[in-house]
Amino acid sequence: MKLSISYWRLKDRYYRLVGVRCEECKNEFFPPVYVCRRCGSRSLTDKEMPKTGKILTYTELKETLAGFEDQEPMLLGIIQLDNGVRILGQIVDTAAENLSIGDRVKAVFRKIQEHGSSGQIFYGYKFVRT
Amino acid sequence: MKTHYDVGIAGYGVYIPTYRLPTTEIARIWKGGGAGPNKEKAVACIDEDSATMAVEAARRAMDMAQVSKLGAIFVGTESKPYAVKPTSTVVAQALGQHFVLAADMEFACKAATEALQVVRGLVGSGMIENGLAIGVDTAQGRPGDDLEYTTGSGAAAYVLSRSNPDTLATVEAGVSYVTDTGDFWRRQTEKYPRHLSRFTGEPAYFHHVETSVKQLFETYGLKANDFTYAVFHQPNPRFPVEVAYRLGFKFEQIKTGLLNPIIGNTYAASSPMGLAAVLDEAKPGERVLVASFGSGAGSDAFSIKITASIDEKRKKAVKVSDLISKNIKIDYATYAKFRGKISR
Ligand SMILES: [Zn+2]
Repeated sequence: MKLSISYWRLKDRYYRLVGVRCEECKNEFFPPVYVCRRCGSRSLTDKEMPKTGKILTYTELKETLAGFEDQEPMLLGIIQLDNGVRILGQIVDTAAENLSIGDRVKAVFRKIQEHGSSGQIFYGYKFVRT
Repeated sequence: MKTHYDVGIAGYGVYIPTYRLPTTEIARIWKGGGAGPNKEKAVACIDEDSATMAVEAARRAMDMAQVSKLGAIFVGTESKPYAVKPTSTVVAQALGQHFVLAADMEFACKAATEALQVVRGLVGSGMIENGLAIGVDTAQGRPGDDLEYTTGSGAAAYVLSRSNPDTLATVEAGVSYVTDTGDFWRRQTEKYPRHLSRFTGEPAYFHHVETSVKQLFETYGLKANDFTYAVFHQPNPRFPVEVAYRLGFKFEQIKTGLLNPIIGNTYAASSPMGLAAVLDEAKPGERVLVASFGSGAGSDAFSIKITASIDEKRKKAVKVSDLISKNIKIDYATYAKFRGKISR
């Protein structure tokens, strides 16, 4: 139940990739920060991150955490979004042998996890090759 | 049904999942060979459902529409992820639109045209500026049933706005026709729907589609020749072709919007997706007929006229033909896992 509540609070982050933009130095951050990591400014506003980027590196997990077994083998990548922000995300709709570093990807809306057939469904971003 | 203000399409978007199950796979498991009436069907992945596909189609439609505020979001589907909890609020949150009238519509395969009709009314009365109507389904057939060959997954979304120089088409007219017909149903706790095989044709599909289209023709003085394109609901590859001939249309008029043979019946998304395939190609001044069918039973028919903005708007379109051609074939076992027919 704890997951449900913290997840609900962070919905805009998971659903829309809402991070922050520093009004002083214009750098963008995801996940959101409260103090700019570049210039120390506290003048930050919510900003939706670009949905496209490229793969910096990736790995294939043959064994995942409990609750994700049905998605094994799972592809995880570090994606550099087009504003320079780096983000860890699952890569779907492809197999490891089709992936290369530098491939263009875009964020898509997918089911992350569900609590059995009677609990809640948690949605969020993943990435697909474009 | 006419509106006070003219209503136009400001943007459209389609989503078709990547995976395809050839119907030879279904025949291999259940009938020992052959294939279904359609070649393949689109299958949602294990992490996709009606909410995720609705969001993807909606994002594309919003991208084309370039409107900042929506006044309504209606999702037409018979495969809601929750029995109680709206799918439309997931879409609203994912689009960052909160001051909206949001609801799920239910009417088998015509749930989306129902949503279109309602959004058209809200925009056309001046109550809202822009509204979103989505048709989406991850349709399921009982393993081995005839339905399993055609039930596919997909979504189509439309942003309707009061007609302006940026709307790519005008919804000129629309009619709705219903009767209480028990051709296809699913009781509350059942996983798969039931149907009365042969009964789904004449008294259900043909009667309702023919009646709504004839009503549209009579009310607005239109005839088959007035339309460059026609899109009918596509439960299988045969019905839409047959109903088109009966209503005086030629194959030339329906072939662009006929998608069932390659992706199956995407239920609520079926006729709206066929319309999107037409909008990918249509020219200014051309007219499109769209007629849905929903079991239970009813049909909505619309006359849509393409405007001069289509060419500019279409630059933002992710084409239906591209979504169809980019795919990965799967076998029956993978399909069974993706769609929850087997689990560990
Ligand atoms: Zn800064």
